[in-house]
Amino acid sequence: MCASCGFPARPGHWTEAGATSTPDRWRARFRRAQVLRAVLRPYGLTAHEDTQVLGIQLSTLSGHHEIVRDLTEVWASVERLAGVAVDPLDPRYTRFPGEDA
Amino acid sequence: MTADRDGRVRLTVLGGFLGSGKTTWLRHQLHEGAFADALVIVNEAADTSVDDALLWRAQRTEILSGGCVCCEGRAGFVDLLRRICDERSRSASTSNRLDRIVLETSGLADPGPIVQAIRDDTVLVHHILVSEVVVAVDALNGLDQLRGERLGRRQIEAADRLIMTKMDAAEDAAVASLAATLRVLNPHAEIAGSLKGAPATLPTVQAEAVVLPALDNSDLGPLRPTTLHLDAQVDWTTFAVWLSALLHARGDEVVRVKGVVRTPAGRLLLQTVRKVVQSPEVLRQDDARSQEGDNRVVVIGRGYDPTGLARSLRSFAGLPP
Repeated sequence: MCASCGFPARPGHWTEAGATSTPDRWRARFRRAQVLRAVLRPYGLTAHEDTQVLGIQLSTLSGHHEIVRDLTEVWASVERLAGVAVDPLDPRYTRFPGEDA
Repeated sequence: MTADRDGRVRLTVLGGFLGSGKTTWLRHQLHEGAFADALVIVNEAADTSVDDALLWRAQRTEILSGGCVCCEGRAGFVDLLRRICDERSRSASTSNRLDRIVLETSGLADPGPIVQAIRDDTVLVHHILVSEVVVAVDALNGLDQLRGERLGRRQIEAADRLIMTKMDAAEDAAVASLAATLRVLNPHAEIAGSLKGAPATLPTVQAEAVVLPALDNSDLGPLRPTTLHLDAQVDWTTFAVWLSALLHARGDEVVRVKGVVRTPAGRLLLQTVRKVVQSPEVLRQDDARSQEGDNRVVVIGRGYDPTGLARSLRSFAGLPP
């Protein structure tokens, strides 16, 4: 159990297996936040990571704030906050500007 | 026995429908010296087991009877694996340490929840890696089982390797037809023939796959494999964001994902069975020949347009089509 955040210790999430050294981990966390911000923008949500908080910080436009541990929890929270799941096979991700439906 | 670098025990899951020839196949492998150092776990849905008597060549055998380990017997299975891992951790010597477990499932087990049980357990996930799911298919009766049994189809879909058993019991044309049907159900699995456990060649005659009847409305057609090529612009983090979203939204349709991805932490072997993602295994860096297939990920599923996968991944990475 982490004393500051209360999250129980558990094996690393599979999505975090691509980095082992501390600098690589930081790079991966900031890259993850960058990708998430772009994906979540159309849903009125944003994501943030920093060195103070262990976890991914999600915020809504109305100021609601949540901290989740990993990407699996991100998608569950986003579905709850936005009322719809982010589906990578939604036409918004599979069609490009100017393409017919 | 295995040159694993992360120290986890490799678990081979041997599945297949009732009477599909699982034990006969395993018995022959043990006779031939394969799995010689392995612990064999036999699971029976019934209260009694006869298979342990047949598997006397195994160095050590454990019996789990009275329930499938994928459902009502799951707790007993997890307890047994925890005990085995505990014993192994206490062993001072690493020279004769247990490196492999073979689980022979009951004929009513779905391998998917078994992999999930290990993944979900906070102890086992550190100690055990499911290295292969082998599924036996009866060459004579397999097709009938697939026609009527959803479980039979789920077993096929979960396999890395399909062993067609009792090859002498069916005509070549029927065996070829079954093989073609298996390829439609699971294009990713390697298919091999077997006769009393020994390798048997597959018939060379061409045959069409049998069109299986829909079992209910959720049957969305055959599984299709799609290969994604991850170029230098798609890093692991972007891929992980994308795949975790895909599994959250489409976990019932994406049956399997498998591939090797290069990351700053090394070459990662990524494997999913339905919604379950195993913690990726770090592969050896020094085998140049095996690296040719790196950064290619196969996604197998149904119910969606496969061409959308690559486009969606590029879109997540902020790239043009």
